[in-house]
Amino acid sequence: MSTALLQELHGVLVDEYWLLDNDQLEDWLALMDTDIRYWAPVRRDLDRGREDFSQPHLLTHFDEDRTTMGLRVARLRTGSAHAEEPPSRVRHFVSNVRILEADGVARVRVTSNFMVFRSRSGREETLFVGARHDWWRRTDAGWRLHERMIVFDHDLIDNITVFV
Amino acid sequence: MPAAMEDFSDLVDVDRCTVSPRVFTRDDVYRAEQARIFTRSWLYVAHESQVPEPHDYLTAFMGEEPVLITRDADGRIRVFLNSCRHRGMRVCRLDHGNQKLFVCPYHGWSYDSSGRLRGVPQLETAYYNELEREKWGLIEVPRVESFRGLVFANFDAQAESLADHLGAMGWYLDIVLNRSRAGMVAMPGCHRWRLEGNWKLAAEQFGGDNYHTGALHRSMIQIGLGPQGDYRGEHPWVRDFEVKCGNGHGWINFDVDMGELPPAQAAHFEQIRAQARETLSPAQADLILTIHVGTVFPNVSIIAFMGFTSVRVWQPRGARGIDVWSYGLIERDASPEVVEITRKMMGLTFSASGIFEQDDGVAWGDIAGFQGGVVRSRYPFNYQMGHGHGRTMPDKPGLIHPPSTEIGVFGFYERWRELMATEPPDTP
Repeated sequence: MSTALLQELHGVLVDEYWLLDNDQLEDWLALMDTDIRYWAPVRRDLDRGREDFSQPHLLTHFDEDRTTMGLRVARLRTGSAHAEEPPSRVRHFVSNVRILEADGVARVRVTSNFMVFRSRSGREETLFVGARHDWWRRTDAGWRLHERMIVFDHDLIDNITVFV
Repeated sequence: MPAAMEDFSDLVDVDRCTVSPRVFTRDDVYRAEQARIFTRSWLYVAHESQVPEPHDYLTAFMGEEPVLITRDADGRIRVFLNSCRHRGMRVCRLDHGNQKLFVCPYHGWSYDSSGRLRGVPQLETAYYNELEREKWGLIEVPRVESFRGLVFANFDAQAESLADHLGAMGWYLDIVLNRSRAGMVAMPGCHRWRLEGNWKLAAEQFGGDNYHTGALHRSMIQIGLGPQGDYRGEHPWVRDFEVKCGNGHGWINFDVDMGELPPAQAAHFEQIRAQARETLSPAQADLILTIHVGTVFPNVSIIAFMGFTSVRVWQPRGARGIDVWSYGLIERDASPEVVEITRKMMGLTFSASGIFEQDDGVAWGDIAGFQGGVVRSRYPFNYQMGHGHGRTMPDKPGLIHPPSTEIGVFGFYERWRELMATEPPDTP
């Protein structure tokens, strides 16, 4: 895999998190492909090697398309989404970026680790940690996220009020 | 009552319909609840479909006690404390599976799916064969009963039957759980998340607080997904109502236009409507596939909405903590497409990331986290809405009132007060 492509995708991921850190949710949404799948399976404590995110009908913390992601953003813009009012202080970190597959340079499978710190009014500070398994697609308008599976490394997770 | 046992019944004023903030913030109240409520109430532990075969198991909690639910070699569902009799470590630390022996990691004592102590390392050389193995099996929860696939257990051997305990609540639960011939199964996995807040704030809300929707979930109404228009509903008393079911249980029924459904889901609903005419009474069948929300006292709630059914346990974790465990149920014969639609709807709306449920967590955390001060604790919370205006009706059980009312919510605290004022039972 070319170093240039890795650098390019790393830049895309960093730019994406800049948007989320700075409440540019509409611009972030514009990075989503029209048939995006954005999902996070629940975790289980099973025998080593038995956890299978492809198991049919396994519950998900969320499993979204462009429409439902848009609803989440619209909700946050109402001013009465109380879980995020006043807005939490959020900082996104991305690391360990790897390109696993590329169909030429048109469609690229990228994995990365994330940490998202959140502090809310008078409440406990929360760290969300995990990995993302992405497919990014190159379009005339730039890179678009086609699929993202988010694997949270939490047994008991906090309320997920932020995008990762 | 022994002199040493503090009576907390003054924290709930049944004449004025008020509840002290201390009920939600004080550690001594919490400790007393564990002894007086959780040792003698029917507590939800599993869905039968999660342990279909002999030696299948699932781990869960009854209050603070970790439990192991097994189906034994004879096919009977058993519930044991998940705790080795030697030093107490959990003998099973996995969520679910199938195994005939549970080996404690610490010193290697092993138990079978009937709870019998089987293997003890160095039985001859260290215990001189003097250990009475038959007396050191897993501690068994004496009462296990099911209602339409929901398995409940009770530490109190003398407790009334689950059916008697549910009473009127059983009639309402049937509207969801018995609406189809095939019955329901649990989808794989469990939504588990941790909230600040007191477990009772969650339980009371699901047991009869429709009032909060317009304010706390205002954002949902603003984006067109919450209940619009008249808050009493289109059919007050008929399909839009709340119920004080007795024994602390409460139910909310609300009929909303679900809009245009995906074709597969619409077909699924039609099938259920046809079957419900056979499996339910006409009065129950008239209510299927509306929004149902209810709490079975003390700490399991159900919400059925847009085709999904979440059964969630509010695990008490100190006065200011709740671990939510939510399982998803769906008709056993639903097509894969329908299961996917309902799974996604459950995650979107009622889950750790749910666009309704996120906001509930903020309210419960705020109350339990900030309102334990000495001064605030002197002033009770108001639960007076609608008392004296409920009705009994010929076609459905319980005390009925259209939204909004707090007769069901306060019924939860009447039951709580009753149990907190009496001595706990002898338990295993």
